[in-house]
Amino acid sequence: MESVLLSILLLPLLSALVTLLFLRKQGNVAALLSVATAGGILVFSLYLIFQTGNSTYAWETSWLKLADWELKLGFLIDGSARLLLFVVSFVGFLIHIFSLGYMAEDDAKARYFGGLSIFMFSMLGITLADNLIMIFVFWELVGFSSYLLIAHYFETREASEASKKAFIVNRVGDFGFLIGIVLTYWTFQTVNLQELKSLVQFDPSLVSTALCLALACGFIGKSAQFPLHVWLPDAMAGPTPVSALIHAATMVAAGIYLLFRIDFLFTAEALSLLAFLGASMGLFAGFCALGQRDVKKILAYSTLSQLGYMAAAFGLGMPGIALFHLMTHAFFKALMFLGSGSVIHACHHEQDIFKYGGLRKKMPITALTFLVGVLAISGVNFLSGYFSKDAILLGAYNQNLMVFILLYAGALLTSLYMFRLYFLTFEGEARSDASSKARESSILMTAPLLLLAALSVIGGYHELFPTALVGVLLPDLGRVATMPNHLWMVVLGTAAWIIGLLAARFFYGKGGAEEPLQDRYPAFYDLCRSKLFFDEIYGFYVSKIQDPLARFLEVMELLFISGLMVRGSAGLSGLLALVARTCYVGKIHAYSFWFILGTIGFVAYAVGLFGR
Amino acid sequence: MNFVDLLFLIFATLALGGGVLMIFSRHPVSAAMFMIVSMVSVAGLFVLLEAFFLAILQVLVYAGAVMVLFLFIIMLLDVGPDAGKTSRVKFISGLAGVVCFGILMVLCLIAVVDASPVCGSCSSWPALSENSLVNGQSLLFSTSVKSFGFGLFSKYMLPIQVAGFLLLAAMVGVIILSKRVALDR
Amino acid sequence: MEYVTPQHFLLLSFLLFGVGFLGVVIRRNLLLVLMSLELMLNGVNLALVSFSRAGLNLDGSLFVFFIMTVAAAEVAVGLALLVALYKKRRSVFSEDAALLQN
Repeated sequence: MESVLLSILLLPLLSALVTLLFLRKQGNVAALLSVATAGGILVFSLYLIFQTGNSTYAWETSWLKLADWELKLGFLIDGSARLLLFVVSFVGFLIHIFSLGYMAEDDAKARYFGGLSIFMFSMLGITLADNLIMIFVFWELVGFSSYLLIAHYFETREASEASKKAFIVNRVGDFGFLIGIVLTYWTFQTVNLQELKSLVQFDPSLVSTALCLALACGFIGKSAQFPLHVWLPDAMAGPTPVSALIHAATMVAAGIYLLFRIDFLFTAEALSLLAFLGASMGLFAGFCALGQRDVKKILAYSTLSQLGYMAAAFGLGMPGIALFHLMTHAFFKALMFLGSGSVIHACHHEQDIFKYGGLRKKMPITALTFLVGVLAISGVNFLSGYFSKDAILLGAYNQNLMVFILLYAGALLTSLYMFRLYFLTFEGEARSDASSKARESSILMTAPLLLLAALSVIGGYHELFPTALVGVLLPDLGRVATMPNHLWMVVLGTAAWIIGLLAARFFYGKGGAEEPLQDRYPAFYDLCRSKLFFDEIYGFYVSKIQDPLARFLEVMELLFISGLMVRGSAGLSGLLALVARTCYVGKIHAYSFWFILGTIGFVAYAVGLFGR
Repeated sequence: MNFVDLLFLIFATLALGGGVLMIFSRHPVSAAMFMIVSMVSVAGLFVLLEAFFLAILQVLVYAGAVMVLFLFIIMLLDVGPDAGKTSRVKFISGLAGVVCFGILMVLCLIAVVDASPVCGSCSSWPALSENSLVNGQSLLFSTSVKSFGFGLFSKYMLPIQVAGFLLLAAMVGVIILSKRVALDR
Repeated sequence: MEYVTPQHFLLLSFLLFGVGFLGVVIRRNLLLVLMSLELMLNGVNLALVSFSRAGLNLDGSLFVFFIMTVAAAEVAVGLALLVALYKKRRSVFSEDAALLQN
């Protein structure tokens, strides 16, 4: 069993290494190798999932040993790991195939597919890891590969800056995560997840709000939650399949997965804080999405909003529902990202939705599958999003009305901006050259779309999946099923998406090259567009507070470390050398005087002139 | 003043006088001759101290080997009296040397007057015991060559190996030095 | 031996050492410098033997043995260097061997 695990983990690393060492010039070979690797991972993962069934499997070995402190390298396969393993390997495989079509004309294919393999390696590492330190290592590797892939078009200023921004913002969150790990080790003397769980069950008083909030910093950074959400929209500068894989389906979901794995560490206060954070993120991101013109940025804000839903579900004490939504979201958001990739590819990298229009007739498969995604995310009845999202809403309604109101407003907005996106892109008349000449993409790109569309439709029926996958969700799903007010929620949920649809139809049904909101409600539109000035606030902080401090420290460093200590000690020894050099006169006789001086000193000491 | 004291005075005078004459003599050959006188006198002092073996070594090694080597080199290089050069002894250098010499003597007088720090009971000569070798545990002073050998090959085993190696290195070094000059020419 | 004490030997050895040092300092003929060095070593030897005798300890005498070994090696190497110097410079005076003087 551990050989299967190790193959899953090391296969993508091997592929990346081979690509790095031998295939840098042969982009097509590298692409095929990477896709084959993704396929192999999928096969191995399915084998592993069905082999372990419903049981928990753990395996570990010594990695690093310092005196009596030992770091273990281990795998923990339980229900959540199986679910995420399936999502990562399945969605990853589809996106690899899609990339074959999308990146066909790219010059740096080898770099792109090598980066994808590195990402698969790191993401699988997070999925399988059984202790926090190992998770942290792969956490950083995921951040690194995300940096690598965002910066794929590094010739453009936007991409290179976005990659730096993503990396730095993630580092801020990871710093908190690291502190959390240290605190955990301090408190429990272990970082192994299973041992932590049994320790907490043994003595629940060990957990503290500070500890779990520090660990949640990792989630906030990686899943782009408030206040570290600023990197995700910018990260859309990367290639679209990367956005689909990393910034929608898997990497940002890793934050939720981390929360699920350590949910026993959370206190009630931390949970309610997370619920509010998530719910307000769900609403706030919806407003931001409404103000965007770039198709990928709309989807990015929508991702933020859906991650907010997951965080809220977790905060409401329903981690299983959060994981359920993670799965369905991975399907329909990957579908929409890939659909937008197909559109962008067909329109020659035009991303402004006001320059699309009328694409439904030219790209019927893309339009149809995209519509499925839109319906799913809006929560249209009996599609996958309906089940997971309404479960969250129902849980919120029964537990915390404030959170429910925020989430419900977010749901209204979601359907509004999603239908806005759909209408502007696929309906009406073509509004630019690029969109009027667009053609349907190749089978390599449409096949993954169709598969994902099918999953987006049926993904919500958890009975269809084997219990090896969804077993971990059943307790929370059962809890939600027994909650009251079911019918009421169906009415409310249906009302939400219908209102959003009608509003979008009203504003955007006719198409149009200009934003209608801008004319009617300019103040509201500007507020949406400004994204609440977070980038400006951070920019002000960096330029007005951090930079002067850094300059001050630099002066101190120049003065004391570089000046006093480094140059100072060098100067001191130089001075000594200057003195000593005068003794070095190059004459034998002079040296004999040094010798006799030494002798005199020695004899003087012997007779006791310097005291006994 | 008995006979031994008289001998001490004679040898001390000869050793010092030889040394002083040596450093002031103009011709290297005469300097070497005075040096031999000084060394033989030191050998005599060793006899007075009952270190007979060392006295013989002193005569053989110093007066015999070393000084013959000196004389050989002097004659090989044909170095005459350094007539013009001796007068060029720098005043400063000589003065500093004399000052150092003076300081050294003052320190020596302190050591002699207040002997305790340098040697515990230096005012008299302890008698030699008959059996000088106590199982090699401590090396007592002895007149016999046997105890010398015992000391050298027990307690000073490593130093004597090193000394042998030093002599070998010196020999090789001397050969190389002589040879390189021949090659340069 | 009633009159002569180890202190007399000590004084004599100091004097020999000092005279040897004076020779090293004031003579410029390197042959004489080497001889003066031998004189200094003799002074040290004398002190060592007299301590050895006064303390009834053989270690001092054994050290004299080693000093003689070192002295012999030193003279051999020193004279070889001197010969080499003479062949290069046609001189055995120290001021002619001051290439490193600054």
